[in-house]
Amino acid sequence: MLELVEVRHAYDGRVVLDLERFAVPPGAAIAVVGPNGSGKSTLLRLLALLERPSAGRVLLNGAVATPGGAARRRVTLVEQRPILFQTTVRENLEFGLQVRGIRRTEVNRRVENVAARLAITPLLGRRRHELSDGEVQRVAVARALAVEPDVLLLDEPASSADRAAALTLYRALAEERARRPMAVCLASHQLEDAYRWADDVRALADGRLSPVTPENLFRVELKAAESGDLKHACVGTVEIAAMTDKTGPAILAVPPTDIFVSREPLASSARNTFRGRVTGLARRRPDEGAVHVTADVGVELVAVITEEAVRDLALAPGSPVVFSFKASAVRVF
Amino acid sequence: MDFLAEGFRRALALLFSGDAEVYGIALLTLRIGVISTVLACGLGIPLGFVLATRPFWGRRAALTVVNTALAFPTVVLGLLLYGVLSRRGPLGAMGWLYTWQAIALGDVLLALPIAAALAAAAVQGVDPRIRRTAETLGAGRWRTAWTVAREARFALAAVITTAFGHVVAEIGSAMTVGGNIRGQTRTLTTAVALYTSQGDFGLALAFGLILLLLALLVNVALQTLQGRGHA
Repeated sequence: MLELVEVRHAYDGRVVLDLERFAVPPGAAIAVVGPNGSGKSTLLRLLALLERPSAGRVLLNGAVATPGGAARRRVTLVEQRPILFQTTVRENLEFGLQVRGIRRTEVNRRVENVAARLAITPLLGRRRHELSDGEVQRVAVARALAVEPDVLLLDEPASSADRAAALTLYRALAEERARRPMAVCLASHQLEDAYRWADDVRALADGRLSPVTPENLFRVELKAAESGDLKHACVGTVEIAAMTDKTGPAILAVPPTDIFVSREPLASSARNTFRGRVTGLARRRPDEGAVHVTADVGVELVAVITEEAVRDLALAPGSPVVFSFKASAVRVF
Repeated sequence: MDFLAEGFRRALALLFSGDAEVYGIALLTLRIGVISTVLACGLGIPLGFVLATRPFWGRRAALTVVNTALAFPTVVLGLLLYGVLSRRGPLGAMGWLYTWQAIALGDVLLALPIAAALAAAAVQGVDPRIRRTAETLGAGRWRTAWTVAREARFALAAVITTAFGHVVAEIGSAMTVGGNIRGQTRTLTTAVALYTSQGDFGLALAFGLILLLLALLVNVALQTLQGRGHA
């Protein structure tokens, strides 16, 4: 188990991460979601022992893990914009194995194997300047998988990948986890992907674990000029109405279960009604009965409805849809 | 202009005549240049790494000292070294004054800050993700440093070339602590100075051309090595 305990991390005096406890149990598949600047990358760098927290401890199986210790060889991070060494892709994949003094025949076997799983075998002889951003990202994931870490940390692993490449990537991760016990902790802003493969989705907002579900979190500026507690905040190209006495910088959270999904606008008391199109339907578990409907309504929103409702509304990717929710349903913190 | 043309003719004739003294001076210069470059870079490049990558108390002051040493006048360096190596100096017992070793020592002291400062700049120029990637893949301190050095290899090769260039072109210290003794401590630069002052322009030019040729050969050799490393 990899853990951050009472960790507080600051850059130039500004606290960017403040966590009482963040644990990655063995074999877990965790997705950390949150807006840009919420502390996801910092969290992963601390877990990867690439930075020491300003305060607090990093534990691996109960023992304090230090950057120079053996723990680093059991935890590997793939950064959001990974970089390859100025050698061939094959030599990049071999790097971590050579560092561990693994025999040549085993190195070759693992490299061929991981390259096949990530569909990068044709790239093995190429150098980094001959690869696209998406290919670099896949090679970086393959390079990390080659060393067979106990914990694999991925920062936005599909950010440069097209849909097919992202699916290849997630399939390879699933295969690896099926083959051997490996925990994966992934930072992503793509909730659909997070729900598709993670067992545990956690939200980070302003360096803290969010008390609400991770969907529909937005950093906003609430102005004081409006009358009463009904305030409007610009999010993407829409304005979300919220009941709050807060002003200034805030995080808005729209609970997915509080969103009504319809084909046409409803005559109701809901102050927030947005038209859009369905961009994705995800089921965390086949037997769960709940479906996460993602729609682009000027901003990406996720609603959770029943399988039966999806059928009744005949929802599919591309379907026109209306999302409605009350101003009082919006959580502000 | 005639004396220039005559000088070049004399220089080429000397170069191809196989003159023992000319080649002896060239070989001594090459020996001193290679030894002092190896020592200066062997110490200076790791020092540059430390200055570029390790936060420690006094790092900024150390960088200032190294950068100041870049502009240290070679004649002053020679003078100080003369004091240290003379019979009454702290290292007088070594008997190095007016030997090629004294010239090499001066050259090491001259090239060391150059190697350190340029290596620090070269390492700082490497994308920080390279170090993080090496570390997260399990590399220890030395392997990480080697990986960063590989990424900076072209800049580090330029460090070696620059250090060698400074060493073989240096005259102030070589003259002071070497003494320009014929057959013992006469280097290409001190020979150029001597024969120019004696009015033998052809001979001075011949030594100058050899010096250029030497610098060219070392550059070509380093570029060839870089090319192999890149293949």
